[in-house]
Order: sequence, then C-alpha cells, then structure tokens
Amino acid sequence: MERFDVAIIGGGSAGLAALKQLSNLEKQAVLIDAGKTIGSKNVSGGILYSKKPKNGKVYNVEDVYEDGFVSDAPLERLITKYILHATSKDKIFSIDLTSAHKYQANFGYSVLLNKLNSWFAKEAAASAQKQGGGIIPGVHVKSITWQNDRTIVETDELDEFEVKAIIAADGVNSEIAEITGARNKFTTEELYQGVKVVVKLPEEIMEQRFEIGPNEGAAHLFAGDITLNHIGGGFVYTNRDTLSAGAVYHYDSLIQKPDEPYTLVNAILNNPMVKEFIKDEVAVKADIDKSLPKEEQLRTRFAVSKLVNTWDELRNVYYSPTGKAKLIESGKYKSETEIKSRIDSLSQELSDKYKAKFVTDYVELEYSAKLIPDGKRCRMKKPYYKNVLFVGDAAGRGIFVGPRIEGLNVGIDDAVRAANAVARSIDRNNFTHNYLGDYYTRFVEDSPYTRDMKEIDKDYLKTFLDATKDVPKDIVGSRYGMIFRLMSSGTLRGLAVGFANILGYDRLLPIVESVETYVQVPVEIAEKSGTRVSSTYTPTIPTIAQRIAKLKYDDDNLSHIKVLHPKSEFMKKMVTLCPTRCYSIENQDVMLQHEGCIECGTCAKETEWRHPRGEKGINFQYG
Amino acid sequence: MVSLNTAIVIKLEPDFSEGNVSYNSDGTLNRAETKSILGPHSAVASKAAFYSKVKYGARISVGTMGPPIADYALQQAQLICDADELHLYSDRIFAGADTLATAEVLKTGIGKMEGGKMDIVFSGHRASDGETGQTGPQTAWKLGYTFLGNVIDYDIDLEKRTVIAKRLITLQGFYDIIEEVEAPLPAFITVDPSYKPAFNTVSQRLAFVKYQKEANERAQSYKKYLKVFNAQQLGVDPKFVGLPGSPTIVYKVEKIPKAKASRKAEVVDASDRGQIAKVVTRIHEILGGIVIK
Amino acid sequence: MTMITSEGSYRNLYVIIEHEEGKPIPVSLEMLGEARRLMDDFNKKYSSNEKVVAILLGNNIRKLCEELLLYGADAVIYAESPELQYSRNLIDTKIISQIAINKECVAKISPDYVEHFKKPRYMFFAADNIGRHLSSTVLAELESGLASDINKLVIEDLEIKHEHKTKGQAMTYAKTLEMYRPDFSGFLWTTILCLDNRNPAIEREYHPQACSIIPGVFQPLVRDSTRSGIIVEYIPKLEEQDLNVKILSRKIIKSAVDFDIHKAIISFGRGIKDSPEENIKLIEQLAKELDAEIGISLPISKKPYVVNETITSKYMTPDRVIGTSGRKVSPLLYIAVGISGAMQHIAGMKESEFVIAINPDENSPIKDDCDLFIKGRMEYVVPILIEELRKQKLVMEVRK
Repeated sequence: MERFDVAIIGGGSAGLAALKQLSNLEKQAVLIDAGKTIGSKNVSGGILYSKKPKNGKVYNVEDVYEDGFVSDAPLERLITKYILHATSKDKIFSIDLTSAHKYQANFGYSVLLNKLNSWFAKEAAASAQKQGGGIIPGVHVKSITWQNDRTIVETDELDEFEVKAIIAADGVNSEIAEITGARNKFTTEELYQGVKVVVKLPEEIMEQRFEIGPNEGAAHLFAGDITLNHIGGGFVYTNRDTLSAGAVYHYDSLIQKPDEPYTLVNAILNNPMVKEFIKDEVAVKADIDKSLPKEEQLRTRFAVSKLVNTWDELRNVYYSPTGKAKLIESGKYKSETEIKSRIDSLSQELSDKYKAKFVTDYVELEYSAKLIPDGKRCRMKKPYYKNVLFVGDAAGRGIFVGPRIEGLNVGIDDAVRAANAVARSIDRNNFTHNYLGDYYTRFVEDSPYTRDMKEIDKDYLKTFLDATKDVPKDIVGSRYGMIFRLMSSGTLRGLAVGFANILGYDRLLPIVESVETYVQVPVEIAEKSGTRVSSTYTPTIPTIAQRIAKLKYDDDNLSHIKVLHPKSEFMKKMVTLCPTRCYSIENQDVMLQHEGCIECGTCAKETEWRHPRGEKGINFQYG
Repeated sequence: MVSLNTAIVIKLEPDFSEGNVSYNSDGTLNRAETKSILGPHSAVASKAAFYSKVKYGARISVGTMGPPIADYALQQAQLICDADELHLYSDRIFAGADTLATAEVLKTGIGKMEGGKMDIVFSGHRASDGETGQTGPQTAWKLGYTFLGNVIDYDIDLEKRTVIAKRLITLQGFYDIIEEVEAPLPAFITVDPSYKPAFNTVSQRLAFVKYQKEANERAQSYKKYLKVFNAQQLGVDPKFVGLPGSPTIVYKVEKIPKAKASRKAEVVDASDRGQIAKVVTRIHEILGGIVIK
Repeated sequence: MTMITSEGSYRNLYVIIEHEEGKPIPVSLEMLGEARRLMDDFNKKYSSNEKVVAILLGNNIRKLCEELLLYGADAVIYAESPELQYSRNLIDTKIISQIAINKECVAKISPDYVEHFKKPRYMFFAADNIGRHLSSTVLAELESGLASDINKLVIEDLEIKHEHKTKGQAMTYAKTLEMYRPDFSGFLWTTILCLDNRNPAIEREYHPQACSIIPGVFQPLVRDSTRSGIIVEYIPKLEEQDLNVKILSRKIIKSAVDFDIHKAIISFGRGIKDSPEENIKLIEQLAKELDAEIGISLPISKKPYVVNETITSKYMTPDRVIGTSGRKVSPLLYIAVGISGAMQHIAGMKESEFVIAINPDENSPIKDDCDLFIKGRMEYVVPILIEELRKQKLVMEVRK
C-alpha cells in the first residue's frame, strides 16, 4: 500500500492553502479533489479579504502564497467602493460603506473561484511536488478507516493508501464530517443559501458605468424588498470583465416561506439599478427562412453563429485595454480604429445579410448556488476527529455580521493553523488527539476570526454606524431607535456591546436577524428618503431550464443523493427550494432527478447526500 | 534509460462544431473560413500515448503530414501528451494524397524519429473530414508492425516486450465483443473513440500531473521540439507520394438524389386533433395494446 | 486512344466474408448479392465469364462455404485452421493477400483465365470494425487503391483526362468500378475511382479496385438451394511470427442501449434544433408513454447543439445512432421525429413494421419511407400525441 504523510481532502481555497502551507514547511501532502479540475466545484460570492486585526494575528492569503500573490494571482478587481442600497420597488437610498469594508483590511479583491483556485492549485502543486506530494483532481474519497495506528483512505477511483493525518476541507456539505461522525449536519438556522449569476460586461464599459479606474472595483449591496421579504441581501460585484450578481438568504427564512432560488435571483436582476448595471449590446439572430433548402438553412445557421462569435469576441477585446494592445501587437490589426471598423463591418454584415438585430439586453454566463455556514451559530467547537482536522466551511466556520460576510479568508486562516498543527505532529511523530486535535482546537480558538464569530466588535460597529449617520433615525422603528441612540455614544456603546456579548450571540440573533432588520427598515428608508431609479429595457432572463442547459455536467449515472423521507414536509419544500429544480412530486412522493444537480446541499439535511464520484457532476466555469 | 519508444501520427482537421464551421452554398466545406484544429480522434490517440508516458516513462514523438499550419495540431498534441519530439512532413508534392500515399510518407517519417525503432505507434480511429480510417492500418502494414484496431485499453509488459490490449469489436447484427489480445512489440494501435486511460494509484496520478505540467511548458515553446521535413529531406520517392502515389482519385462530387419511395405514406395534418387521436389508436393496435372501438 | 494491355491480367470479383463462429455477418451476404448482380451484368455486357469468388477464413467453416454458394458466390476459396477461429489482422491479411494472387486457386475456378491471371479485378470488404482494417492492410500489401464506406457501385468504361493519371490526355479506362461514398452530412456523394497511372513518368498499375461496403445497404439474394459452385481449399503458409498475436479472451457485452427488447423506437434528428433541450425532453416523455427506446440520426451523435451535458451524454452518443454507421433496427413501430431521412438513416430503420414520421416539411425524403406522415412541427405534434396517449390509456384502464 502506498504511504504519504498527509492527505488533504477538498481542493477549495482552504484545502489548497493547507497544501501550500505544509509544503512551505517541507512536509509531504497529497490533496484529493473530486472535481475534474481544481476550481470546478467551487462557488463564492465573492470577495477575498486580507485582514490586519488590532488584537491577535490572522494568516492571510499573501502569507501563504508569498510575494507573488497580488501581482500574479488572477484577482478580478480591488474593491475600492462599497455601497449599500436600501430598496423599495424603484426607490433606492444609498449608503457608502467603504469605510466598513476597509475596516482592519489590507485589501478586498473580487474573485472568481474557478480561475483563482486554479492559480492557487498551480502554486501549491509546484511546492508540493518538491516534497513528493501534489494535487490529484477527479478522485472522490468514500471512506476513512483506522486499523490499529494506520489511517487508510479509500476512494472510488484509486487503490487505497495510508496517511498519518488528514485535513478535511471538503466544504459545507463535508462528507468526511458525515462519515466520521465529527459533527451533525447543519440545520436550516445555521445556514444561508447563496444564489449567483455571472454576467458578461466588457471592461471599459464597466469602468465607465461603475465610475472606477482600470484596476479598481465596486461592490454594491442591496437590502429591502429586493429579497422578496426574506432575511438576506443582494449583491453586485465587479469582476474584470464580468459581474457577479446574486443574493444570500437565511435558510430558515426560506423554509418558513419557500421561494424558488431562481425567482429570488431574478428579483435582483429586475431591480432597476441592477438592470442598468448589467445591460449590454447583444446580437439577436433572425429566424432562418424555413422555405430554403435544408442544406442552405444549415449553412446559414452556421454562418450566423460564426459571425456572431467573431463579433462578440472582437468587441470584448476592443473594450479591454490589454486585449486591444495584444491584438495590435500581434499585427492582426494596425490600430484601434481598424478593430472598430472590423466590428462595425461584422455587425453590418449580420444585420444586412442575415437580418440580425442588435439590442440592449444582458448576457448571463453562469448560474450557481451554494450554502454558507453562519459561524456564529454552527462552528465546530472541537474541529477534529482522531487525526482528522476540519477547516473552513467543513468546520462550519464563516463570518456573518450584517453586511460583513467572509468565508475565504477564514478558511485560509484555518488551513494554515491546521497545517502548522499537522507539521508539528509530523516532527514529533505524535498524532494523538491531545497532541494534534486539541492543539489545533486551541490554535483556532486563538484566531481573531473565531472572536468575530463569538462576539460583537464595538469598533466595527462604530465604523458601521458612522457610515450610516445620514440615515434618518426617526424611521428606524421604535425598537431600533433606542439601540441606535445607545450605540451612537462612545461610552454607552462600550457598555451595550459588553452587555450584548455577555448575553451571547445565541440570544441576540433572533432579535437582530429578523425580517424587520433586513427588510422593513430598509424598505422604510428607501420609501422615505430614496430616489427613483429607472430602466427602460426588459432583460431576457433565461428560464431555469435554459440556465441548467448552459451549465457543464459530466453526469454520474449513479445518483449521489438518496431521498430518505419522500413524504416529509422538508422534502416537499425542496421542490421549491432546490436551485436547479431537481425535485418533483409524483403520486405524493418527492422524487429526485439528479441530472441537473449543482451539489449545493440545500436538500442534504433529509437526504443521504454524497458528492458525485471523481470528475462527475457539475463543472463550474466561473465559480 | 528510456524503456519504451512511442510515436503518434495525427491530423489537422476542420473544426466541425457550430460557430466554427462554415459551408459553401453547394454543401461542401468552406475550408478557408473554417478553423482547423487537432482532430478529435488524434487527440484521443495522444491521450493513449500519454498513458505510456505516465505509466512507463515512455518517450513520445508526434508526426503529421500536412501544410505548414499543421504545426498547430502538433502543438495541441504536445499539450496533451508531453511529446519529446514533433515532426511535420510538409511538401507541395504531398498534396492530394490518398491513404496509401499518406501512409508512405508517415512510414518514412516514423523511421526518421529520434528514438530510433518504435515500440508502439498510435493513431486515431479515423479523421473527421476524410473518415476513411485507412491511414493507420496502412501505415502499420508498411512499417511491418502488428496492427491492433479499436483499442479501448492497453498495458505493456516491459519484461516480455508485449502489449496486452482490449479491443472493441462491433459487428452489425451481432453483439459487441471486447477482445483481449497479447501481441509482441512493436505494435501499431488505433485508439477507439471510447478510450479512457485509467490511473489507479496516487503515484500514477501525481506523475500524470507532473507530466501534464511539463506538457504545458513544452507546448508553449513547441517550435523548439519541431522538425519540418520536405520530400527530399525525408528521402521519399516522388512516385510513391502525393497524387502520383495515390491509386484512387475523386471522380465527381454530386448531391445525393432522392431515393425512390419504399412506402406509401398516408399524410396527416397535425392541426386536426381528431386525426391525431386516430393515429394514437393505430399505435395501440400496432403495439398489441387493447383495441379501442 | 490506347487500351492498356495488362488489363488482361485481372479477373474476377473477390468478396471477403466475415462471420462469427461460422455464422455469416449480414453484410457478407449483402456484398455477395451486390457482387452477383454486378457480375451478371458485367458478363453480359462484356461477353465474359468472370466469377464472384468468396474468400473465407476460419475453423469448421465447410458448411458456411456451401451456404455462400447458395447466396450468389460462383466459388469459395477457404482456409481452415484452429488458428483462424477468430479474425486477427496480421495473419488474415497475409492469407487473403496470398489467396488473391494465387494462380492454383484460379486454375480451379477460371481455368480459361489462369494463364494471364495476376490479381483480382475487384475486391469487396465489409466497412465494419474488422473489414475496415483488413481492407486497409490487404490493399497496402497488394499496393492498390481502396475506397471506404461505399453504398453504390457501377461498372463502366470511362473516358478519363487527369493531370497525373493520364498526363492530361483523354484515355478510356475499361471496366472501371465507380465507388460511391456518401459524406457524413448525407447530402453529398463522392465517386472514387482506382486507376492505373498511365502517365509514362509515373507509370504504375493499381489493381484490384477495392472498397469497403456499408452494412445494411445492399440486398442479399434470396437463398437458392439449387445454386452450385466450386469450393477450393487453400492451405495457408502460416509462419511462426505471424501467430504471435494471442487472443486471451473474448467477452460479449451488451450496450446500455438495447433496441431489440423494445417494441417501439423513437428517433430524433436535426428537427429538434429550435429548442433542442425542451424537444429532447418531449421525446423522452413520449418514449416513456410507449415504453420505447430512443434513437438518433448520425449528425446528432456529433453533438451539433449546445445543450445540457446530461442530455448530451445520454442521447447524443454513437450507440444510439440508427443507420449505416450505427444500428440496424426492426421494431413494430418506428417514429421518426424531425428526421429528414438521409439514406444512411433509412438503411437502419427500413425493416421496421410500421413507420410514423413527424415533420413539418412534406418534401423531406422520409415521407417516401414511412407509412404515416404527420405534417407539423414536433413542438406541436408530440405534446398532443402524449396527451392523446394518456387519455386513451385512461379509457382503457377504466374499461378494464
């Protein structure tokens, strides 16, 4: 049997950071991921932060990947503008929260996880190879067994192998947690459901529209009726040449009043401000004349497809400073004007010869969904089992404080701590739970991020309140009026926060995380002080079937989900709550069609839920 | 020491996917407007060779006959298989070659590859433009190598110098057969489109990733690995290549005329709901369901 | 005009027979049928007596030799050995090539031609997994030309003017086999000829004129027990190194798609194009109602549309193709949805009991090969069919 020092299960940002860190410490580690390529199973909102807390130390992404990170990694845009919009129909009241975004932060970049994790993987694999380790995509771990002091990993694809320790980074629906029994499945109170679409938008058009410089980015958050009265919030983030638009909803709120995730995301896209954000020029093909001979119809179809592709690609390049420069350098075009005239002649040919039209619309590239653990509620108190350490989402660790949602940086911090703990155990050849597991638990407990999952940070609160000082206080309901007044005074704030922290998040949350806070207050603010935003075009929003059709799957003919309670109330709600409509009711039983599954885990609570086997299942292109 | 020497013969082919392909009004392919890529079957052959690299540390040479731009296909193949050497056989006199004349060029080219005598040569199942599937076996025969077609899986016994291969045999009107054969090296393998390499241990997977990375780096500067040969440099007899070396010619291309009717169809107008109901009744009768009056 | 003298050195049409354990593969008999028709016309036209010669390799195959005569062969040359139980390319190629130029065999079959005999005039192979490769290697050994995937054959005297073959001069090539080959779109037919180089600069003879023939295209003859002919055994020269390829095992596998166990088959083609995904789902529903298997036309297997990967991997696969490059089916009911009816497809389904076509275009060729033609767009017709099927099923159940 082959033997390796460490197995890392799951190739998300946390698992990859663990691999890189172990390799930095000159330890041998093998990372196993079920996706066909690294990054293909990962989805995030997504902003990646680097933090510098006043008290304590966090391990940041640039500590792990060192100097090259900011200059080399495929980061989308440095977020320099962070704005919260309270919405009510077409009325919007905007609050600049850039100062809260910058609070104790080195930076926050918008990211697309497929691209970013591929880069992490490249870096981590290069280091790992030197230690005799590396990354193995396309392999699904199905069990871990202990025989005496040997830990054996079994997969669906490979011969079994032996390791000394395991870092489980297999995400919010961690199978390792499930098969080891390290923790219970998360409950609906402990989770948020995030839904996102990636929208195409050429670079320079975006920069002009969002009033940002070539390397800058904007984050726009939305609260109010835009969430269709659910606890949660919407977002639009600028990437390099795409936008990430979506929302997160408290899962419990969805269970109370189920709405289809795609209906929810459509509500975001239909908001007039968002509509104006995402719009672009789009070519629409004309119907092909059915009276033409078959071959001619086919020929026309293919000719139009080709022209539209060329037009679209060239136009993207034209609006991209680097793309343009490269194209001119290649000698294919002499100047910017020449590219422009080629684009014009293509659109001319399309409209004259093939009756194509050019309209204002938007182009959706990818639809995705994911569950997000609320670390305040569900972080593992002891994030290990035997010699298996849990990190990031798998350990239920993430920060959820008002508009502040952080997961990637938390996972990376955890990963470094887990890697350091494992390295220490390798050095002493001691993998007992008190030398490894308990040490790791204490180490994680020390993290400032854990503090943020346990108590309110009064300095953050002050920054937040200062930013919202222009919000008319009289509309902030009687219940909040007093709190606001309390919090606005330095001394009282200290007292109040101290008191709140004694009460603990557990008791505070039901009051703070309510429909009133998330919906009614913003709606009132928008109604009273908001300005009207208008948008005249109607976006062609794809149906869920069209969205699924656009996704790439390699279907596993063995279903990875088994329905356990086909008649339960929870499962009936899955018919509505599954983001890709995998469930239907036939003869009063809830039935599963797993082919469209994007592996979000929304249904995991009452199903036997596994990840698909290696290389199978969803293959996100953006993430 | 290299324990296994392999070669792949590949082809640059039109990209037939929608959005890339273009047809003339007479239905023929518009080659000028259609981008060319590494043929899909050539890509599968490259994957099969890469399996030998990962598992046995094989040395790989890739050869193709084509116009100068066919070096793009070589680069694409190198990206898949981490080739150590790329050969392009390019000469105007090769143009118009049928499979026999193409096989002559490929045979001669393989003889010029650096590894010396080959242990295995791989080729695709067939080209997506020509679709004859003859070039592989004819090259094999000219080389005097054992030919194994439709291979879906293989392994090498380095001690015995044999290849053990699984072949998929589909014969019309019969069941499909998977045949397992053992043949001495050297062998010529055409790879079935359904071929999927299986790497079953962690070490093999790690080697896979390592070579894949090397392939990426090599393909970026593929010209360093590329040798171009014209007819003279190859030393082929002009009488045996190109049009002169081709027994067959294309005499004419025409539209396929309408065949004579084999059945007389009753035409039903879809907009008449009652008619459709009758069709359904008919279906039940045909399928032996209960007849409804 | 010059007539090449060596024309006298080629005789007869050789058909390479394929079989499994002594049972002929259908295409073998189809090739014999077409060979018979061609050579009957040939002998009449040229007042000659050239033969259809079947070549058969195997073990325990004497009975099959007799059968081949009844299906149209004038003569059978067979080689029998336990080593030849299953086809192996190397040894088969050597033996077939030996037989092809063997004068002793010809002496028994066509004694009047044996003096001049050099090579077969024509040679037919099956365009399947075995014949495709075998034809390639045999013709590489015989150094002549080969056309693949043929579905029409004509023999004529042709006047040819070709830059290389005739150095631009018009010359008559007598008894030339015109080999018609459809391209994958089903729209175009390419005629391929195998011609000697008569240009003095590159003079070379190219015989036999050979091709591989698409299964399911030609009609076999009706078995005629009164027919007789000559059976000749050829004792092959087997060399040790030619037998180095060892067959370790043979395993029969069943495709995931089994057309034979279903009474009904529904096939779809390019007609789904307006909304491929929704349309395939409609077809799925219809298939469920009829307990039918789903087939496709060849172009669909090339995945021409961007749809959900699940659907692509389930339906747009070669094992569902019905037609010359796929399966030949004969269900009780065949429903062709959005299939125009390219001849390759027709060849795969023409034996069906009852054929319904759904197509908006009454000029599509499928109309000539169906019993019932529903004129309309599938998006419209299929839902009504499903609805009616459900309604009538309900009625039936109630009556039960």
